[in-house]
Amino acid sequence: MGHQTAKKRTVIIAMAAITLILAFICLFAGSASMSALDCLNALFGKGTAANIRIVRNIRVPRMLAAVIAGAGLSVSGLVMQTNLNNPMASPSTLGVSNAAVFGANLSIIAFSGGFLSTGNNIANYSSGADPFACSIMAFVFSALSILLILGLCKIRSFEPGTVVLAGIAVGAMWTAATTVLQFYATDVGLSAAVIWSFGDLGRATYETDLIMLAVVAVGIAVFAVLSWRYNALLSGDASAQSMGVNVKRLRFVSMLLSSLITALCVAFLGVIGFVGIICPHVVKRLLGQDHRFSIAASALCGAILLLLSDTLSRTLGGGAALPVGAITSLLGAPFFIAVIFSRRVHHGC
Amino acid sequence: MLKIEDLSFRYSRRSPEVLKGLSMALDDGEIGILLGKNGCGKTTLFKCILGLVQPYGGSITFDGLDVLKMSPAERAGLIAYVPQHIHFGALSVYDSVLMGRVAHFGLRAGKEDHEIVRQLLYEMELEDFPSRCAEDLSGGEKQKIAIARALAQTPKLLIFDEPTGNLDIANEELIINEAKKIAREKNISILSSLHDFNQALDFGDRFFFIKDGSVRYAGDADTVNENSIGDIFDIAVKLMDIDGKRVVIKK
Repeated sequence: MGHQTAKKRTVIIAMAAITLILAFICLFAGSASMSALDCLNALFGKGTAANIRIVRNIRVPRMLAAVIAGAGLSVSGLVMQTNLNNPMASPSTLGVSNAAVFGANLSIIAFSGGFLSTGNNIANYSSGADPFACSIMAFVFSALSILLILGLCKIRSFEPGTVVLAGIAVGAMWTAATTVLQFYATDVGLSAAVIWSFGDLGRATYETDLIMLAVVAVGIAVFAVLSWRYNALLSGDASAQSMGVNVKRLRFVSMLLSSLITALCVAFLGVIGFVGIICPHVVKRLLGQDHRFSIAASALCGAILLLLSDTLSRTLGGGAALPVGAITSLLGAPFFIAVIFSRRVHHGC
Repeated sequence: MLKIEDLSFRYSRRSPEVLKGLSMALDDGEIGILLGKNGCGKTTLFKCILGLVQPYGGSITFDGLDVLKMSPAERAGLIAYVPQHIHFGALSVYDSVLMGRVAHFGLRAGKEDHEIVRQLLYEMELEDFPSRCAEDLSGGEKQKIAIARALAQTPKLLIFDEPTGNLDIANEELIINEAKKIAREKNISILSSLHDFNQALDFGDRFFFIKDGSVRYAGDADTVNENSIGDIFDIAVKLMDIDGKRVVIKK
């Protein structure tokens, strides 16, 4: 017992150390040709004004967004998978991402006349566009989708199968509505809408990071408090209920919180897929399913994947950052397959 | 004392009644056996007692307390459940038993919780491998862990759903004896479903034959006879006395 616990703690501490190291490396990557020393100096307010601005206003918020969104999306995926007893469940199971894409498309195509209003787009600032308009619309529609599905599923007492199917149906509805909207869009509007959906950590600002941090931190704290209840849920609904777990309420609270975290991350950064599926599975394979450890480990795993993906997206892009959502899948999928087929699998405890 | 009166349940307004005015009573420390064909309402009755479904009529009380109005946490301190198909997620034997205390603690288990778990591991002879993964153990050992987990709730009523369904003959006897010991020594009532009449006769004190959602025959071992079995299961059986033990043989 002690040996296994110590081993798990060591792995989590190692993951935290990797996250810290990657966070620093992430600061050094980018299109501006700055040495590591220049970056470090700029971080502490030394060096040229341009360097200080690049590091403090662009790279630090971006790095923080990678850590916060990575952790939030990954833990949300883990919680969804446990609550729905479905390994394919993801943070977007309740149609959150599809709804966010529709909301952003509506904002860009219908209300902005093809104007991409995102936080770090200087053109937007100069034209006086509201940097949050697109994010607010994306979040509002995500929240609507969450409420719609949870409201529908309440009729069936949040049965996992019903939730997953309702999520697929409502998600398809949002995708169809987006297609119709894009059909009537101008070329500029369409390209702006598509670019938004790519997912870009460059949109992060200190304000958006702070909002995401507040929700993700509260979410992870609540999930950590509920970790024993999630463990009980792995024994089956009847067993968990007999042990004193209010299964319906647990599912409702967990799905609501994890969907809200996802909605907020997607609204601010665009769609960053796969983190919420791959990271919980990697953690479960390596450390087992005990939520006392897998929640923290999933959060760190998500942060590591997104930091690594973002660093690579800016290094490989040759001056332009590649969509981070694509890199997470390109980077994560082979590792995921290797973990799935690996014989060195953690069998549980 | 468990008292169920006039319990009625259906899964939806349009579906047929699964429980039709079911009534039964079980004394403290008594072992009650539910006998009946598949689909007669045994599992639904368990679901009602555990609060997984809400009956539309009737009452369930334990020592005068209304079980149907209890929160899951309140009910967990009174009633525990040992399912037929046991899963422990990915926990060790120790943590699996500790999970039975989940209604008693929030984030971390307290000193009293650990004390109860250690005592139960000793009583159930599981103290030699507390760090082993519970899922990796044999059917009989898993059943013992599930019983220990249920006892960690310090219940007054234990519900067993087909306790010997997945066990070999040696483990069947082990679990039946263990359950009997618990009822006698801890004065905990047990309500169990069983398919094997001879096992039922060996295990139970009181027998409830259920057909079409209501109790048709209830009583002591004498209730298990050719007539009741023939009426409920539509089969012909013969009762024999072998070494002073009643044995049911299919004709």
